[in-house]
Amino acid sequence: MDDVRAVKGASLTSIAWQQFKKHPLARIALVVLGIMYLLAAFADFVAPYPEHDINANATFEPPTVVHIRDAEGRLTWPYIYTMKKTIDMQTFESVWTVDTSRAYPLRLFVRRTGIRDRYVPFPVNLIPVPMRRALGIRPWATLHLFGVDDPSGQVKVHLLGTDDLGSDVFGKLLFGARISLTIGILASLVAIVIGMIMGGLAGFYGGWIDEVILRFVEALSAIPDLFLLLTLSAVFYPLHLPSTTQFTVIIVALSVIGWGGTARAVRGQLLSLRERDFTVAAKALGASNSRIIARHLLPQTLSFIIISLSIQIPGYTLAESVLSFFGLGIQPPSTSWGLMLSTAQSFAGVTGLGARWWIFTPGVAIFIAVLTWNLLGDGLRDAFDPKSRR
Amino acid sequence: MLRYIVRRFFNLIPTFVIATFLAWAIIQAAPGDFASQFAFDQVDPNKAERIRALLGLNQPWYLRYLYWLRNVVLHFDFGTSMTSKASVTALILPLMRNSMILLLPATALAFAIAIPIGVYSALHKYSFLDRVLTVFSLMGLAVPNFFLALILLAFTVGWFHHFHWFLLPTGGMTSTAFSSFTPIHKILDVSWHLIGPMLVVSLSSLAFLSRIMRGEMLEVLSLDYIRTARSKGLSDRTVNVKHALRNAILVIVAIIGGTLPGLVSGAGSVEFVTGWPGITPLFISSIFAQDVYVVMALLTILTLLLMVGNLISDLALALVDPRIRY
Repeated sequence: MDDVRAVKGASLTSIAWQQFKKHPLARIALVVLGIMYLLAAFADFVAPYPEHDINANATFEPPTVVHIRDAEGRLTWPYIYTMKKTIDMQTFESVWTVDTSRAYPLRLFVRRTGIRDRYVPFPVNLIPVPMRRALGIRPWATLHLFGVDDPSGQVKVHLLGTDDLGSDVFGKLLFGARISLTIGILASLVAIVIGMIMGGLAGFYGGWIDEVILRFVEALSAIPDLFLLLTLSAVFYPLHLPSTTQFTVIIVALSVIGWGGTARAVRGQLLSLRERDFTVAAKALGASNSRIIARHLLPQTLSFIIISLSIQIPGYTLAESVLSFFGLGIQPPSTSWGLMLSTAQSFAGVTGLGARWWIFTPGVAIFIAVLTWNLLGDGLRDAFDPKSRR
Repeated sequence: MLRYIVRRFFNLIPTFVIATFLAWAIIQAAPGDFASQFAFDQVDPNKAERIRALLGLNQPWYLRYLYWLRNVVLHFDFGTSMTSKASVTALILPLMRNSMILLLPATALAFAIAIPIGVYSALHKYSFLDRVLTVFSLMGLAVPNFFLALILLAFTVGWFHHFHWFLLPTGGMTSTAFSSFTPIHKILDVSWHLIGPMLVVSLSSLAFLSRIMRGEMLEVLSLDYIRTARSKGLSDRTVNVKHALRNAILVIVAIIGGTLPGLVSGAGSVEFVTGWPGITPLFISSIFAQDVYVVMALLTILTLLLMVGNLISDLALALVDPRIRY
């Protein structure tokens, strides 16, 4: 009896997980992405200052250095010095100098109760405002991850300096991540749904429906992506839409560009699946068209969906950044990494990378996000595609 | 072959018409038009309406599309720019030329570097250098074009601040005293301005191209006839070059057409950042000004270029690959 082993059936997901675990880079990417999404979700808590906090007297303040050693070189609780702005009377540039007269210790879990400092914490802020009002949910939070021990409120800690409006770049990066990191996922989901519906119609019914859809996809792909995307977003530009609507508009624009490839691929798959024995058998047993599509054909394309999602997400993330960079994407006061870089572009020519390097950090954030999504995509492809399994 | 070309060519016509109609519909869907900006003129309240009538903007949009299509097809006339009042063709042609000056060398450079890299990586699969190149191309895929251009710009300025002379220009295509230069000096000046944008454009497509080349080469190397060739006792070099590379190159030929849109788009954001006087800066400003004919002309020409590029690469593929029948 002992040498009889129970044979365990392996589902698609369990095989995929086994395969995925063999990809060390993809696993690291998953962790990094997880951290980035967590930071974005809890941006109000992690960022030391509120989202639209501007300060005309502190533009382009260099990053605050956090000291962990005191004057004698011993380890102490982290503290910072304030920065003082003077104006160079020859160039009229502001020069920031460190004022070492007084050390301000950093504090963890600071409460700031100012009317602008409170925020709606993460899972609740996903509920639309009118619905929150109607239900009477008003959970204001005042806790921030870190801050400075200073009752006057004049001393501020800017881990990545400030931008042209005097906003905290570190905080802006986190708030921008909310848009930059989700737009790719949402846009690719929408694109895949449209692509699957259109490709499904074309592949299943064939005939003139197929012809019309294919022609349409072909025409759409004949116009260069960037220019089509810019033209599409320009339609909504003169409307001065509120930022949540603009967010939706960008998702729609991105998915309009991207559904063609999915539609073609789904159509191709369906054409071959349609002739397989199990489809013919289902038809012979009297199954309806919608039942065949839903029960027999769509599940076959699951791997394909996961793989194409992972390929499309980084692409859309990049596209959003380009769009916002050109000024046709996310509009202020909302922010995204592309929009932040468009500010950086306006000020790069004046001083160069060395003098104001911190306003370029959104580029690094885009880089990390796209890189990790690509790595994760590689891992997922190997996990779900039988051909590339090791 | 001729019949194939003719058939392919006629296939392009409906695609072209649908694509331009789509573009036209999208542009017209935007609220307001070029004349809207004069709607609140204090002196002449009817100014907007007059301009609208003058430019024919009061006619239905689909009719205007037909007029536009007729003029483009019959006279190659893309209309008159509403902002600069110049003929759109005259406005665009020099900019098109500038864009090509950037795009063609960048494409050539990208392919010239990507093919050897891809082949090397495939032949030395999982070697140290292959892994390094893989990491680099993954990183290259993740950097937005415009960010790379920004870094270049910042580097250029930083260099000037430090050494007080320009290693690379900070932007544009020519120096300020360009018109007084001798012809040779002019070429040198443009080439100097070209270096930065060209490197950025080709670097960003390099990653993608070398990955494709590597994958294709690996695919070919795993085929049976390669094993047969090796077991016949042919030298590695003969097998790799004559049997494998030649077949893998076919794919590159086929994808040249397919990479054009990516390259044009990629070059677009680089043009925008480095101030290269190509079509993208004009496109952006025309979009904001709702200068419909300029936007339309650029979209049309790019679409045409793309379709012709695809056609040419298909034809080239049909020429070099004896297995493709037409």
